[in-house]
Amino acid sequence: MKGLSRTALLAGSIAGAFVLSIAPALSQAPPGLSALDKSDPAASKQDANLKPHATPPIVTPVDKLPLDKLKLPAGFKAEVYSSGHPGGRTMVQGPKGTIFMGTRLLGRVYAITEKDGKREVRTLLQGLTQPNGLAIKDGALYVLAINKVLRFDDIENKLDNPGEGVDLTDKFNLPPEIHHNWKYAAFGPDGKLYIQVGANCNICEINPGIHGQIRRYNPDGSGMEIVARGVRNTVGFDWHPVTKELWFTDNGRDWAGDAGPEDELNRVAKGQEGANYGFPYCHANGIPDPDIKKPNACAGVVMPAALTGPHSAGLGILFYTGEMFPKTYQNVGFIARRGSWNKAQKFGYDVVLARTTPDGKAKIEPFMTGLLDDKKNEFFGRPVYLLQMKDGSMLVSDEQNGATYRISYDAKTAAQAAPAKKK
Amino acid sequence: MQPCLKIGRSLMLAAVLSSSGGAFAQTLTLPERIEQCGTCHGEDGNSKLENIPSLAGQPAFFTLNALILMREGVRKVEAMAPFVKDLKDADIQALAEHYEKLTPKPSGETIDPALAERGAKISAQRRCESCHLPSLAGQQQMPRLAKQRIDYMIYAMKQYLTDQRTGADTAMTASIFGLRDDDLAALAHYAAGK
Repeated sequence: MKGLSRTALLAGSIAGAFVLSIAPALSQAPPGLSALDKSDPAASKQDANLKPHATPPIVTPVDKLPLDKLKLPAGFKAEVYSSGHPGGRTMVQGPKGTIFMGTRLLGRVYAITEKDGKREVRTLLQGLTQPNGLAIKDGALYVLAINKVLRFDDIENKLDNPGEGVDLTDKFNLPPEIHHNWKYAAFGPDGKLYIQVGANCNICEINPGIHGQIRRYNPDGSGMEIVARGVRNTVGFDWHPVTKELWFTDNGRDWAGDAGPEDELNRVAKGQEGANYGFPYCHANGIPDPDIKKPNACAGVVMPAALTGPHSAGLGILFYTGEMFPKTYQNVGFIARRGSWNKAQKFGYDVVLARTTPDGKAKIEPFMTGLLDDKKNEFFGRPVYLLQMKDGSMLVSDEQNGATYRISYDAKTAAQAAPAKKK
Repeated sequence: MQPCLKIGRSLMLAAVLSSSGGAFAQTLTLPERIEQCGTCHGEDGNSKLENIPSLAGQPAFFTLNALILMREGVRKVEAMAPFVKDLKDADIQALAEHYEKLTPKPSGETIDPALAERGAKISAQRRCESCHLPSLAGQQQMPRLAKQRIDYMIYAMKQYLTDQRTGADTAMTASIFGLRDDDLAALAHYAAGK
């Protein structure tokens, strides 16, 4: 992996030098934001000292996991499924049952296997730049880091020695910018690999030919098509099990107020591939941007299927198709909300439901709560991605604690809980 | 290429040789490991060596994060590689807690008052204090800058500006984007004197 990382570093430094040489006397950007950025924390009237919460790079001991905080509807139960994988986020499962897990800062990809009813965690890959994008096809694991696409064939037979993988980076031709460019990846019902290329700023004029897109490729990196435009930063999508349409979460901009603009759940209607979702001019349900203005900012923009709350950071979305949960959860979307940073009163840190309606919209309802103490304005975990298991249970990854929780349903406990509710 | 790496390498060798028969990280006790770190970073965590950072008074989370990212190969510091390679999370936690408790002292480098004054203005414009705190004592993953070595801070900022180093995200690079060498020197003189 070392050789590969060095190449990435070189690409990064060339890009950096280029930017510096063209903009030597640039007007100053606010802390933490790209030089292109038009963010104005002062105008937003927000606390200018707000900043993203750090993710611990070390293991949270099992007895310190916030399992007892989790609240679920009657009949549902949460248990610790795996732990000891700091910063673990995205999850995909191989045909033999191995769960692969991507990270951001720590640069690792984990492999979680089951042995005698216990989970074993191993660090499969190391030293990558934000390998958040993982996808599985025909027994091969696709790993997408920043400007890096690798394929590991027959991976489940090579867990102890994955090798360097097949480097597909040149074929995918992704931009090198780091900001909002950690990847989400998934194979669609059409067998194509869908990935996003986020906006390389909080709020700025993007190059619409490169940034703010969802794209799809043939698995070898050929045949790129743009599926959605004007998408600020989606890091989660799934296909509706019945309509086969693509639904994606999208994180709204920061530094435009504590109240929003709200994050979005969007749908790409059949035949509308390539449609525009508004960034940077139009946000949420038709809110023109306060810093980047243009006439008729929202003309021709696809409005969200649902709003998912201010700064809530909806990441993973999963349409449930298992047999374990009650029928009322069939084909319902689950969304993991990592929780806010650019908001004085914290918000999110939960899993919500998105019940789709025949008009192509969705209604958001709570599902898993308890990781946020509103009164103390304090959080205990950050749900980021979801995985449906073969038995119909669902895993929720908690990036803050490096753990996954298994959510299962038992009709008996639901029946016992029902009379108590009436009291 | 950088003088600090050369110094680092020769001292590293000395440190490894002085610890019994080239014993590596996993066999050392905490006091032995602290002694090893002290060879370059100063016995009391205050570095007397050019381009080697002081660790005294650094927020524990910062030291923890930095050492783990070096071990993982995400932050590449050649001179540190052999020392962090086999460190366990618990070893790193213990070191991070140790250095947080030590008292930071001036490095002995000459602080130019005119430069420091200009640095204060640049710091206000770039809002360094919103992350590093008004005292520049640092917090969480953001390091202490007060009383840090001037030469090291200039070196570190240049690393950020040339994408040779990234932090937890691209925040640090963006914060000093467009600054010239003399601006970086001014910031360093200001911070060292805090």
